Parts: sequence; structure tokens; C-alpha cells
Amino acid sequence: MPSPEPNTLQTPLMQEVRKRFTQPTASLLDDLPRLAESDLSRSDLVEMIESQLLSRLLDLEARRLQAQGDAYYTIGSAGHEGHAALGKAFRFTDPAFLHYRDAALLIQRSKALPGQSITWDMLLSFMASTEDPIAGGRHKVLGSKALTIPPQTSTIASHLPKAVGAAYSLGLWRRLKHQGEWPNDSVVLCSFGDASLNHSTTQGAINTAGWTAYQGAPLPLVLICADNGIGISTPTPQGWVAASMRHRPGLHYIAANGLDLVSSFAAAQEAERWARTHQQPVFLHLSTVRLYGHAGSDAQQAYLSPAEIQAMEQRDPLLISAARLQQEAGFNSTDLANFFDDMLERVQAVSEQARQRPRLATADQVMASIIPPSRPSLAPPPERPAKVSQTPQPMAKLLNQSLDRLMQRYPQMVIAGEDVGRKGGVYGVTQRLQHKHGRFRVIDTLLDEQSILGLAIGLGQNRMLPVVEIQFLAYLHNAEDQLRGEAATLSFFSSGQYTNPMVVRIAGLGYQKGFGGHFHNDNALAVLRDIPGLVLVCPSDGRRAVGLLQEAVRLADEEQRVVVFLEPIARYHCRDLHETDDQLWCHPDPGPDFRIAHRHFIQDGDGDDLAIITYGNGTYLSQQALPTLADAGIGTRIIDLCWLTDIDHDALYQAIAPCKKVLIVDECRRHGSISEELMAELSQRGRTSTDMYRLTAEDSFIALGQAATCTLPSKDSIEHSALSLFTARNPA
Amino acid sequence: MTRKQRALIVCPGRGTYNADEWGYLKQHHDGQTDWLNAFDHYRREQQQPSLTELDSKTPFSMKLHSRGDHASPLIYACSFLDAQAIDPERFEIVAVTGNSMGWYTSLALAGALSPLDGLHLINSMGRLMHEQLIGGQLVYPWMDGQWRPDPAQRNRALARMQHIVDAGEGQVFVSIELGGLLVFGGDKPGLATLSQALPKQDRFPMALYNHAAFHTPLQAPVKALARQMLANLTMQKPQVPLIDGRGKIWTAWSTDSRELWDYTLGHQLTEPYHFTRAISVAVREYAPDVLIIPGPGTTLGGAVAQSLIQANWQSLDSKEAFIQRQQENPILISMGREDQRQLAIQPSDAVVST
Repeated sequence: MPSPEPNTLQTPLMQEVRKRFTQPTASLLDDLPRLAESDLSRSDLVEMIESQLLSRLLDLEARRLQAQGDAYYTIGSAGHEGHAALGKAFRFTDPAFLHYRDAALLIQRSKALPGQSITWDMLLSFMASTEDPIAGGRHKVLGSKALTIPPQTSTIASHLPKAVGAAYSLGLWRRLKHQGEWPNDSVVLCSFGDASLNHSTTQGAINTAGWTAYQGAPLPLVLICADNGIGISTPTPQGWVAASMRHRPGLHYIAANGLDLVSSFAAAQEAERWARTHQQPVFLHLSTVRLYGHAGSDAQQAYLSPAEIQAMEQRDPLLISAARLQQEAGFNSTDLANFFDDMLERVQAVSEQARQRPRLATADQVMASIIPPSRPSLAPPPERPAKVSQTPQPMAKLLNQSLDRLMQRYPQMVIAGEDVGRKGGVYGVTQRLQHKHGRFRVIDTLLDEQSILGLAIGLGQNRMLPVVEIQFLAYLHNAEDQLRGEAATLSFFSSGQYTNPMVVRIAGLGYQKGFGGHFHNDNALAVLRDIPGLVLVCPSDGRRAVGLLQEAVRLADEEQRVVVFLEPIARYHCRDLHETDDQLWCHPDPGPDFRIAHRHFIQDGDGDDLAIITYGNGTYLSQQALPTLADAGIGTRIIDLCWLTDIDHDALYQAIAPCKKVLIVDECRRHGSISEELMAELSQRGRTSTDMYRLTAEDSFIALGQAATCTLPSKDSIEHSALSLFTARNPA
Repeated sequence: MTRKQRALIVCPGRGTYNADEWGYLKQHHDGQTDWLNAFDHYRREQQQPSLTELDSKTPFSMKLHSRGDHASPLIYACSFLDAQAIDPERFEIVAVTGNSMGWYTSLALAGALSPLDGLHLINSMGRLMHEQLIGGQLVYPWMDGQWRPDPAQRNRALARMQHIVDAGEGQVFVSIELGGLLVFGGDKPGLATLSQALPKQDRFPMALYNHAAFHTPLQAPVKALARQMLANLTMQKPQVPLIDGRGKIWTAWSTDSRELWDYTLGHQLTEPYHFTRAISVAVREYAPDVLIIPGPGTTLGGAVAQSLIQANWQSLDSKEAFIQRQQENPILISMGREDQRQLAIQPSDAVVST
């Protein structure tokens, strides 16, 4: 009878790992704490080593699969498997924001919640199957809804600000005497590498954590630095992590040998107790080693000597664990071989099944989770009709009243930003709100936009309704990745299971009287308009601002959207339209039920000679131009777009269909502005380009003083462009 | 083909030994005198009729044979001996799981209990259940005729259960998630009210004769007694992985036998048994080529198939797809079915049994 075929397909690397694993060296344990002296049982130890080995074999299997075209990303956790101890030391309900080398933590955590099929889930993820339970095949991520592990992107350290925000949300919910997604006594975990420690985003988040804790605010956060000593090819200076982090104010520093489970567990336990008991952030510094290069595609021989590579391999945490199995768990060499072989056989059997599962095949499938699912509002029904002032008021005042009402309506709503509390905002939009709703719901943050947006993401993930403020549009740009790479992608990479609804209020655009200057008049929106799923809205007057803000907050609350609410600074306190004291740009408060529905634009007038398509200050200036156009016998309609992403071009095309000519007035730059999209979409629908003209800002930054509006559309240039459309002359 | 097939063993629960199965031990295991003698000896020591007597001498009586103290050990013996007959040359048993009482059988098949300790556990629990007979069970389907999930039907059934509880009309709980069936456990008023409240479908809602409200808090007294009575029951680490009624995996390497005892005589007695999840975890984590149900009867096969459909395992998405798969390349072997039994057993046993 022929002997059975081996049930595994061992690669040379698998054989090498097996050889080392089954021949452990007892002396590896010489300087390490004994199992018997720890809080771990023999079963605990073996269970964690099962997690470690599964993590390693999945890494190796990913490389085998990648070579045959069945898997893609091979960046792995080899050398970081000591983190299985973190999976054991923390609760599975503790939110964990993990970087890509923490598979062992995920695997170990899965054992705390019976019913998980982590091997299957991870292999589906490797192979980008639609059945991957977290990302649905959209990316290889570590994540699980059931295990409270939101998936993270690969951008370096960009997940730290939201981990700080998530930790902050726990104390906030306690203050509000309610609970969000996670138990209020949770501890938030966040892991990253030693190279990532140097990233400005990391430094900003760590500073924010320290700044917060330094003031005594609760922040149960464990920052886990997996220090493998190298960032792709660049070594981390010896001792750098400890030297830079050991004495940071507000942070409790703990260091341990992350190669060893028993040492790691003791340190993790200490970190867990400290963070949970003292509600203070911990910096947990675990030394690890990176094995087999940065990823499968990285040939580390190009920048490491054979001796260096060999030295790294000798620090393999699996070798320490194998020695512990032999010395402390009664395994003999046959047991070690069987332990390894059983696991590999199982991984490859599961892998073969996972390989046959479907992959994403269409754009619709890929895009299905860009927009999160809807959910019921947390707002209780209003008890009685709110009193609404009928006195006409400018935009800033109306927004202030609306925010006040929204704070009353949504018990989970929180306002945060620089100077929004005591000062009431640079332009007074949040005046008196802190006094009325308390400093826990109207938060004066530190001066760091990444942290403000990270706070919003963290609060949003824990079921709060953050309305945060970026003081000026130009200040957004240093933090923009928090929207682009983080907030907007969360639903996409989690199949809609995790969301971070929020409204980001940003003051911006030009035309501030007697002021000017680029940094307070930035008129570039392009960076906000190409982010899938992100909603951008811009009001032109106070009444519309209230209707749009109330819809924006509803979108965040019920549809879990990320909304950027761009407020034209020049219209905050603007009262008059045509002449001094005409008060035509002041409006009565339209009340709490007034909402301008998402994607709906507003048409003023029904003239069918000219359609002006515009938004923000452009609407105001176009209104100023109307008398001149009327005098010239041009019947005009003005379309105020309001919503600047996901524009309903079909409806827009229909709305302007009766008009002979179309003028697009765009206060942003000629290139990269919304005017380009409008021209393209209307042309594609059959509008003749010679009947259209776009009037935009110049491709310039904004200058100071009187020169501030030189580069921007004006009442005069709108009139000139409109009139020119009706002559043979080119408006330009 | 020389590679062994990876086999998942799925042990049946109560209710699988009925009139049609009477004589099962004699028919299939007449030659296995060593284990049967040992089992019979144990039963006589307990002042109970031997399994051989019950199986082939005492004429089948629903009232007698379905009692917990008789049905459980009979099913155990049939399942245990069937599992010994699985051809080791062709099948590698990669994991063991079971439904309800089948958990006890699983413990023995996986080596966590010796065969006699397995009988002792099952006999003791069967006896306690029979003596206490707290409450009962009621079965109701929530998949359609093609075994496709009908979440609305499920939610309606669960809502009716909850309504009874909220209205104080009785005690009812989910006892077992059994593929396409919801098994409710409760007291008499609760089950009677639920039975009236659920829309009739064929023979459902169906009360299970001689069954108690297993896996519900009503079993708390049984749990307390069992933990005393079986305090000295010795468990070991299993030799092959076990998947329990929560979908937790107990491996051959890391199992803490005290925790295994604690779960067996604790959680699973008073909390819902999630058989569907156990199957889902077992196939996803062990990727068996086949699932083998040892023991009498054929009723568990449907629940296993429905569980596979819920897990979308190998794209099985309906009863029709499952039947077609069974005809082409069986994924499920029920040893209680003569035609399928032949697919699992050693050639020598095949001769004996035919």
C-alpha cells in the first residue's frame, strides 16, 4: 500500500522554521522569568503559543499563496508574535487600533469570544475574498467587529489621533451618564512600530495624550510601540525609543522583552491595570524583531549583512516559545513536530477552501461600502415646538442659534475645536455654547488639527456626534489625511461595520473686508472634493446655513456620513446686499425643522435667458448683479448649489434647460475648482459649450488688504461676463 | 488517491434512537463485545437494564426507550462504536463536535474522557434529567422548504417567545440553535402558550417527548446536582480538537481539563447550545473533506446541512444544492443510513454489517 501523501505543501522557509522550532535551545530561557512565577497557567502559555504559531504559519502561507497568484499583501507579523500576550491581557471589548504586524494579538483575542473562525477569516482577507468578514475583499486588514478591532489603513501612524479620541470618548460618555459602542470602563489599545514613532502624526497624538492626561482628564489608552529596531531599511538608533519616551509628561512608560510571552504578558498586565485603574495613558515599549524583511517583496539582503540577518533570526520569538514548551509545558521533540505539523496541515486545508471563495468583480461590489448604512437617530422626539426668533439676523448668529438647538436635540453631540469654548470661536459662531452646555460637550482643544479630527473620528466611532471646528480652511491641510485616509475610508474598509459620523465645520473662502491674506481666505476646495463618500456643503446665507447645518447633522446622525460644512467667513456678519442697511442678507431663523435636503440645490428666480450656477460668496455676488442684468433685459435664474460633492447633474441640467446661456461663477481657482466639473458634466449632457462661460478666481493665493479680492470674481465681473454672453464678443 | 480525507465527526443528540433504530447495536456492533460488555456491566452495576437488553431484547417502547436514562446511553454506545468503525486508512479525524448530548459523546471520541467515563457522564446526566425532568422542548423551523434562511420568520418566532416572557405567561428560552430549527426550552405554561402562538407549519411547532428544558436556566438544579455528583469525573486534554456548543475550540495542546469539566457541567447545561455555530467554526477552522455523523437515526443530517448552508460552506445555498452535492460527492455521511454507512467504515466492518 502506498504511503499517504503529505497533506502539506512546505516551502523552504516553512521547512526552515519547522527545523528551528523543533530543536529549541533551553538556554534561551536563562535570563527570562519562569512561567511558574507568572500569573499564567501552562494552558495559558500553550494557548498563546498556538496563536503565535498560527500567526507565523499564516504569514508563511500568505507568501506561498502570493507566489501562486492567490494572495497579494505579504506584510506580516513574523517576529512580533509576542503580542499574543496582549491579546490575552486585555478584554476583547477593549477597542484595539492595530498596525499590520499584530496578527498574533488578533488571533489570541479571538479565543476570548467563542465562535470565532479566525484562520478562515484571515485567509479570506489575504485572498481578498468578498466573504472576508471585515473588509469584504477590499484590503488585507486586521479587523473584526465582534472583537472590537476597527480595521486600520497602512498610512504610517495615522491611526494614533483617533485612538486618542476613542480613549477620550470613554470618559466623556461616563460624564454624560450613558454609553456608546464600547463599555465605558474599556481601555483603548493602539500599536505602531519604532519607525512610525518618528512620524509627526505619532508625535502629535502622543503629545495630545500627554497634554490631556497632564490636566487630569481621563484617557485610558495604551500606546504599544513594537520596537523591532528597523524601519524598512533604516535602523532606529539604539535606545532611541526609550530615550525619547521614558520621561514624557502624562505618560506612564513600561518596557519589556516583547520576544517573550511571559515577559510581555506581565508588562501588558501592568499596562492594562494602570490605564484602567488610573485612567491615564501608558506607553508600552516592547522590543521585537522583524523577520523575513519588511514584506514579501522586500529583499533585505540588499541592505542587511548576512550576519545581521542571522542575528535577527536567532531572536525569533518562536524559538523562545518552543523552549518554553519543552522546558515548562512538557513537550518533547515529537510533540513539537506534531504541534507544528498539525497546525500547518490545518492552515493549508483551510487555505485551499478559502482560495475557492469569490473575489470582488465589479465596481458596484467594490464601492458598496463607501457610503455607510443608515441607522435610527439617537435624538429623542422634540417635546415642544422651539421658540424661534423672527428677527432677521446674519449667518453667524443664526448658526449659533442652530448649534444651540442641535446640542439640545442630540444628547450625544459634542462640539470641539480651537477656541470654540471660552472664546466662542474666532467669529463668534459658538458663543455661549460652552457656558450653556458645559465644558465636556463644548471642548477647547489644543492647537493641532490632526488631533481635532482624530478626536472627531474617535468620538464618532464610539457613537457620539462630533461637530468639530477647523479654524481656517488653510489650517486643514496639515491634517487632511485624517479625513482622506482615515475618516472617509473606515466604512469602506469595514464593509460598513465601523463608522465615524461627524460634521467638520471649517471657516474659509475669500472676501473678508479689510483683511485678506491667503491663510484666512483660502479658496481651494479640491482637496475635499475627490474623497469618495465625503460630503461637502457650503451655504451662502444664514437661512440656508441653518437648513444645511441641520441636514448635515442629520446626515451624520442617521446616515453616518462624514460631512464638511464650509462656512464662508465673509458672510458670517454680512447684513446688506445692495446698499448699506438694506439688511437683505439677514434672515429670520427658519427653525429646527428646516432642512435643505442632501444634494438639493436652490433656484432663485425663473428667468430663462441666463442661468448662473454658483455657491457660497458667488451666490451673494450674483444676487448683487441681478439689477444690472434685469436692466439689460436678461431674465436670470441663480442656482445656489449648496452641496458641492455628489452633485445631481441630471437635475441641474434640467433646471437650466430653459435658459439660453449659462454662467458658472466659482470663487475658487480656475484649475481644480468645481467649475471644471460643471462644464464637463453639462457638456456631456448636451449643453453647448459656446453657450456657457465660467468665471473663476485666478490660480493665485490671496493677497492682503485691498488686493485681497483682485484675483476673485466680483459683482462687476459677473455682470460683465453675463452681458458678454449675450453679445458676439467673448466674455473674456 | 492516497491522501486521507479530513473528517469532522458530528455526534448526535437525544431523540435519534426510536423504533426504527431498535436493534442498532445488534445489527452493527454485535462483534464489538469488549466495549458493549463493559458498558452493559456498568449499567448493571447501576441497577439499570443493560444496553444490549434495551437494544435487542426489551421490545421498543417510546415511553421506556426515550427516557433520558435509557436513550442517552443507547445513543452514546451506538455513536461511540460507530466512530470506532470509521476506516482509519481513509479518514483522518481532524475535529469532533456534537449536538447537545452529543457534546458528551464528543468528549469520549476526542479522548477527553475514557469510554467508560463517557458512559458514566452520559448515564448520570440522563438519569438526572429523567428524574428531574424540568420543563420541556419545542421545535420550530425558520428556514423555508429549500432550507434558505427566512430571518423574518425567525424574528417573529423569537418575538413571540419574548412576548410570553415579558407578559409573565411562562418561562421560555432558546435552547438550541439547530440549523434551520429553533429549539425552545421552557416550563409547561410557557411552551403551551408558545405552541399556540406559533403559526402551524406541517408538524411544527413540535413538542419533544421526554425531553427536558435542556440548555436553559431551568436546569440550574440539575447543574448543582451534577457538579456534586460528578466532582471526581476525570477529564484529560482531548487528542483531537473539540468544538463546543458555543463554537469554542478545545485543542489537544492547550486545553485545561478543569475548564473543560467546568464548561461541561456548567455553561452548556444552562445556556443555549449553538450547534449551528459549532458546525460553522468546525468546517471553517478544520476544512474537513467530509462530515461524519456516527450513531443512530438520520435526523441530525438535515440540521448539519442547514448549518452548512448558513455558513455558505462550499457555496451550498439550498436543499437542492445539498442533495445534488450528496449525489455527486457526499460531504455528509450519516452512519445511521445504510447506504452512507458503507462510505465510512472499514471494509471488514462493511462485511459484518451487510
